[in-house]
Amino acid sequence: MAKIDILVDKCIGCRLCEAVCSARLVGNFNSAQAAVYVESSLPEKALIRPFMCIHCDEHPCMDSCPVAAIVKNEETGLYVVDKSLCTSCGACVPACPYRGIRLAPVDKLAIKCDFCNGQPRCVDVCPKKTITII
Amino acid sequence: MAHAYVGKILRVDLSRGKTSVEPLNMNWARMFVGGKGLGAKYLYEELKPRIDAFSPENVLILMTGPLAGTTAPCTAKHVTITKSPHTGAFLDSYAGGYFGTELKFAGFDAIILKGKAKKPVYLWINNGQAQIKDANRLWGKDTHETERLIKEELGDREVKVASIGPAGENLVRFSCITNDLYRQAGRGGAGAVMGSKNLKAIAVRGTKGVSVPNIDEFIDLCKDIIANDVLKSPDNEWVIVDGTPAIIRMSNEAGILPTKNFQSGVFKDVDKIDAAAIRKVLVRRRACYSCPMACGNITLIRDGPFAGTMIEGPDYETLVLSGSNCLINDLGAIAKYNLLCDKLGIDTMTTGNLIAFAMECYEKGIITKKDTGGLELTFGNINAYMKMPELIAYRKAIGNTLAEGVQKAAVKIGKGSENFAVHVKGLEYPGYDPRGSISMALAYATSDRGACHERAWSVGSEAFGKLDPFITEGKAQLVSGTEDQYAVKWSLIVCDFYAIGYPNMSRLLSTATGWNVSEDELKLIGERIWNLTRLINVREGFIRKDDSLPERIASNPLPEGKAKGYVVKREDFEKMLDEYYKLRGWDREGRPTKEKLEQLGLSTKL
Repeated sequence: MAKIDILVDKCIGCRLCEAVCSARLVGNFNSAQAAVYVESSLPEKALIRPFMCIHCDEHPCMDSCPVAAIVKNEETGLYVVDKSLCTSCGACVPACPYRGIRLAPVDKLAIKCDFCNGQPRCVDVCPKKTITII
Repeated sequence: MAHAYVGKILRVDLSRGKTSVEPLNMNWARMFVGGKGLGAKYLYEELKPRIDAFSPENVLILMTGPLAGTTAPCTAKHVTITKSPHTGAFLDSYAGGYFGTELKFAGFDAIILKGKAKKPVYLWINNGQAQIKDANRLWGKDTHETERLIKEELGDREVKVASIGPAGENLVRFSCITNDLYRQAGRGGAGAVMGSKNLKAIAVRGTKGVSVPNIDEFIDLCKDIIANDVLKSPDNEWVIVDGTPAIIRMSNEAGILPTKNFQSGVFKDVDKIDAAAIRKVLVRRRACYSCPMACGNITLIRDGPFAGTMIEGPDYETLVLSGSNCLINDLGAIAKYNLLCDKLGIDTMTTGNLIAFAMECYEKGIITKKDTGGLELTFGNINAYMKMPELIAYRKAIGNTLAEGVQKAAVKIGKGSENFAVHVKGLEYPGYDPRGSISMALAYATSDRGACHERAWSVGSEAFGKLDPFITEGKAQLVSGTEDQYAVKWSLIVCDFYAIGYPNMSRLLSTATGWNVSEDELKLIGERIWNLTRLINVREGFIRKDDSLPERIASNPLPEGKAKGYVVKREDFEKMLDEYYKLRGWDREGRPTKEKLEQLGLSTKL
């Protein structure tokens, strides 16, 4: 099962990952609607990095969801959000140690990476190869 | 409604405390693109001629480009356009980071502000809604603190903030507007215009999108341009490898690195401020939205008296004008000074020039300790140097005179100091000495906002390229052609550090909007925009005599290096200027002719 690896020291904060992700998910460029999001800790610390679901084996997000809105896709083996079931309770957000799932600022529903049917666009566009597949 | 634009302008009347929303004029967008061109058009229509820049009637415009918020590479910058309190001329000042894209996401292409608030306020723009909020507790705070407090108050760390520091509040004429901590609309004093309007900051957050006609086709085009031009062209290599400090050695070798207030073009301690020195303190690189190059160097000074200083920078212009030009050879000191200027909200380029100017005044006995508040203001004195940003920002001692800019300061100080006040239209020179790259004398003279290197960086093909840097032949054409191209670039807006040509500008704009904008049409648009900003300046009273050559550059030969013995002779300069006006279709006084304006589709009213 392929996973995402994030090489945090390489990120430059260009946020092209957010742009291409939102293009696929909502059909326009809209960083707030992306499943990947970049944060910086400046000016206190020189940390800049993307956060997203790395598709871990432990799936604490699924375990934390009280309404079973995070489900396993038997075909791909990926854990994805079924938006029609999500109640915006937010229990999954602190459950994920990678900060890989969040409530989208627009519809307040849980959002996380669905691996773009096997070829993640963020991996493809990242100029510094910060986001990679392992 | 064309794609790429969001189609709306936010209008703010600070005197009445009212905001309103209106559609973006799409006819103008088609003629002037966005950014510089479109902002200049709005200013031209709405600025009452010859008012004081600090009058409530002055217009302050923040304008994005059509490509901002998309995957088009290096398109994050927004421009602030106003009448400059520093020069009295047209001002366009660009800042990178994430503020401009956030404004698009919030549903606006531009903000147009007028009037003056009764008490300190800040503007909060959230997804198409705007609110004028109290900024009493923010007044007096530096830019970093202001940004932090506003994010805290609004409870969202993704809010983007553009703010002024104490200098802008105190109407220091070259106050900048800082956004995303380290990005400035640096030159020309747009921050002082904010201060004059009692506007401390603009905060923006948006979760709306930017659309293009065919998003997959557009992304493929962007990926192609990123892979085959941005990251491949040798013209961009320096940006990717070292960012702007890469140019330090090139300038020093060409003998054009301003040193000791333009008394030399060679700095003996260049190895202490060059790209190799920056690499030693580099923590990581930082990019603006959609930029794969990441010119920003986040540096951390690890030892010495300035240990613990962390900043994005210092960049070329700061390293030169506030480094070699003040004979400061300590990178830690320059970094600390840079951070002070950013937080106080003053332009490091002008401030560096002013400190160097004051140091020369002091060494020549024109000013004394009585003027400097007791400082031993000699070249290279780090202690005195480090106190200057605060004296200027709070208008203390000599700082009060310097806060007016070098042109006015030299008039006030007198005693021959005018001869080494190096500026055009009041805007102090950038870090490339024309005595070793003659076209830059013309570029600085004809730049619409005063001495600026970003309107025609002709030094690239001259002192750093193949053209003879000491002869005038062909230079008027080089400068005017580059100005037109940059006028388009600054309207799209594409960052100056991406050496984009007309073909890719045409592809990006056409694919993003659904219009068909040819390369030839873009060339015409560039010329149209350059003539429009000229019209604004002519209306403000600027003519040929203001397209000037500083006395130091005309009369003092460089003492060493590749340009040793050279000046820019007045007759050579006037010859270039004649040729330039002729090429432009302007009269002998530098005024666009009726025929030229008609040809460009510009109104002839002056």
